[in-house]
Amino acid sequence: MVSKIICYTLSGLDGVPVEVEADVNKGIPQYEMVGLPDTAVKESKERVRSALKNSGLLFPVNKITVNFAPADIRKEGASFDLAVAISLLKASEQLVGADVTDVVFLGELALSGELRPVSGLLPILISAKGHGYSKFIIPAANAKEAGFMGGAEIYPARSLSEVVKHLLGTAEIAPLQTEAFTLSEGKAGSADLKFVKGQPVARRALEIAVAGGHNLLMVGPPGAGKTMLARCIPSVMPDLTFEEALEITKIHSVAGTLGEEGIVSVRPFRTPHHTATTVSMCGGGNRAVHPGEISLAHGGVLFLDELPEYNRSTLEALRQPLEDGKITVSRAGGTYTYPSRFMLCASMNPCPCGNYGSVERTCTCTPAEIRNYRRKISGPLLDRIDLQVEVDNVSYDELTSNLEGESSQKVKERVNAARRIQHSRFEGCAIHTNAEMGEKELSNYCVLSAEGDGILRSAFEKMHLSARARARIMKVARTIADLDFSEEILPKHVYEAVSYRIFDKMD
Amino acid sequence: MTETERALLWLAACTPLDYRERVTLLHAAKHPVALFNEFEKFSNLVLKGGRNGVYNSDRPARERETDEVIARLKAKNRFAVTYVSEDYPASVKAIPDAPLVLFGEGNRELLKKEKFCIVGSRITPPWAEKAGKKIAGELTEKFVIVTGLAEGGDSAAIAGALESGKLICVSPCGLDECYPASHAHLKRQVKEKGLLLSEFPFGEKVQKGFFHARNRILAALSEGVLIISAGLKSGTIITASRAFDYGRDLFVFPYNLGVKQGEGCNELIKKGAYIATDVDDIFFQYGFAPSKKQPPTLSAEEARIMEVLSENGELHAAVIAEKTNLQIYEAAATLSSLEIKGLVTKSGGNKYSAI
Repeated sequence: MVSKIICYTLSGLDGVPVEVEADVNKGIPQYEMVGLPDTAVKESKERVRSALKNSGLLFPVNKITVNFAPADIRKEGASFDLAVAISLLKASEQLVGADVTDVVFLGELALSGELRPVSGLLPILISAKGHGYSKFIIPAANAKEAGFMGGAEIYPARSLSEVVKHLLGTAEIAPLQTEAFTLSEGKAGSADLKFVKGQPVARRALEIAVAGGHNLLMVGPPGAGKTMLARCIPSVMPDLTFEEALEITKIHSVAGTLGEEGIVSVRPFRTPHHTATTVSMCGGGNRAVHPGEISLAHGGVLFLDELPEYNRSTLEALRQPLEDGKITVSRAGGTYTYPSRFMLCASMNPCPCGNYGSVERTCTCTPAEIRNYRRKISGPLLDRIDLQVEVDNVSYDELTSNLEGESSQKVKERVNAARRIQHSRFEGCAIHTNAEMGEKELSNYCVLSAEGDGILRSAFEKMHLSARARARIMKVARTIADLDFSEEILPKHVYEAVSYRIFDKMD
Repeated sequence: MTETERALLWLAACTPLDYRERVTLLHAAKHPVALFNEFEKFSNLVLKGGRNGVYNSDRPARERETDEVIARLKAKNRFAVTYVSEDYPASVKAIPDAPLVLFGEGNRELLKKEKFCIVGSRITPPWAEKAGKKIAGELTEKFVIVTGLAEGGDSAAIAGALESGKLICVSPCGLDECYPASHAHLKRQVKEKGLLLSEFPFGEKVQKGFFHARNRILAALSEGVLIISAGLKSGTIITASRAFDYGRDLFVFPYNLGVKQGEGCNELIKKGAYIATDVDDIFFQYGFAPSKKQPPTLSAEEARIMEVLSENGELHAAVIAEKTNLQIYEAAATLSSLEIKGLVTKSGGNKYSAI
């Protein structure tokens, strides 16, 4: 008898249905697997054999053939174990009377017959629901994650024997209750702007950056608090909506980095080390293409500490995703697209010794060293960073003072207000924030008065601003005006925007 | 070109000798033309080891070599000013070790004008660069600015004077070469708008000792020298001591105590250099009327910030905001506008100072 069970595999962020067929024939005992399974799938033979035995079920002593269809997709991972086991049971007539049509089985088996969690469950469930499946049997350990998807019958099982009993109707598993999405408060509170001492200029720049979705570069001596400021960024960003959270969770689920909670409810803050390779940053892998850091930072912040220390080609690879908000990775196994709309926050020292511009300490670097250090960051990349701000060397008095700065909550309220203005401005457009404006939007929404234009012109002449700085300044000025609830961009907004172009002035 | 000029040109451009050896020969022969005509008679004075080419050269070969050099200079649009040329600067002629020939590319007329030298160390604080640039610009009203091609102080002087075209840069290497290489664009601009000078006509690479030799020309060309930054031991100090030797007026920017880049400047003040904080300090010494400066029109906030800055010196943006009762972002905007007006400079770490 031939049995057919539905299972799913991942292709990027999408689930692809795979039919697991099993046939048990008379003959010399033999166990064959066909249909392009990779090593982990082939190894399921032994896991399934032990799991069946230890669950009090029979492993058929016959000629067994298991087929994965469609045969042209490479099957990877251990999430087929449960489907293979069930199809064997069905084929060897141990599940008489059980209805397994249109049920999706997902899960990895332990030798004892227990079910282990699989990664990428949420994107599979979402795709499968879209394909018309509505019954799922999943590992209990994945229940949290699955609980956020309503509109389907999901049965979380702890072991193979539970699944069998459920299918035979002897002991039903209670279907999973849909969980309401709540923002987690605990984690968000760990970094707060009120604990940041001093840094009035950088705080303001950070607020503008978040309000307008701009990228931010912080320049300052070692130990000035650049990292701490950056860690506060998620705390002032607007709260996640459920749709955003689901999209972020899909990525993290595929990467297998989903925590206990089962859903990402706090904006991600990713800090890849500067030894990170291009592949780890952008995504890739041997055959399975895993999302990289920029995709894991989707909806949140990608913080690159000590920017010039990063591999140059790795930094250059960020340019296209910064523009498009997504990255397409091509490998032998296929081409996958992952979303990567993140806020880039970078930090660097002003020079190799870190004391350039400091009054207390003398910079020991030669101009050539400083130039080479700064040259490590290419113009086109710098071009995509709207705000550049200097972080102060905090004095001892400031560190020990008990005066708390403005809390993240207050800043967030202003950010939300500015974001609301932008939402109504870009209603019907494909963009959401000022930073995403192109030439067309710039000429529509960033009209400068004659006075404002004059300021920009003289700024260009006096400060030797680069040509590309112009659009950046206008976008930032627009955000500053939004924070000020001003319809027009006033001269003071332009002046302030100009003050965040320190890199152009450094040349 | 006269015979004497040709002889000097040949001596400077075609012989593999150093300055001292050439002078020895000239003294022995009494006249450049005599040396040119009967080089064989004197050459054993300096060519003890017997260097190829020169030792064996005969008079027709020397004529040919000189013609070649003249043709090459012409092809590269360069000129040679010899010690006996009409426009050889008198101030340079007056020094004991005046170069035999100066090679130049650019506006030759600038040699005849009054010149003033501005130099500084490669590592110069941002405020000093800004102030040096400003003074260089203002000085062009009366002087041609003379400087080197290096980073820091020299670059500030170039930035200030380039626009007006009243700029002479003296290179330590041949005119084909550029040191530092990263300033090739600056060198090109100087040649187009001003004048580039060197003791060497073509592709001589920079060597130890060339900088000292160049610094003597900087000091010799100029009426006075302004030092905008100098460590205790630096090339800038060499230029300053040459200026002292040649009896030139020496002006320096005063520095705070403990600032390494300014220790040399303060040392020069102790030795009697003038303190310059403004272009008028220099104009005064030469009997020029103070420069006419339009008082800039300032808004109320700008005026308040300028007042606070002039009372307190360098201040952090947050402190300025506090002292003027402005929000930090308002202060940042106002400071930015003052910066555009050229009244304030950012000196790193969000600190500002008036200039």
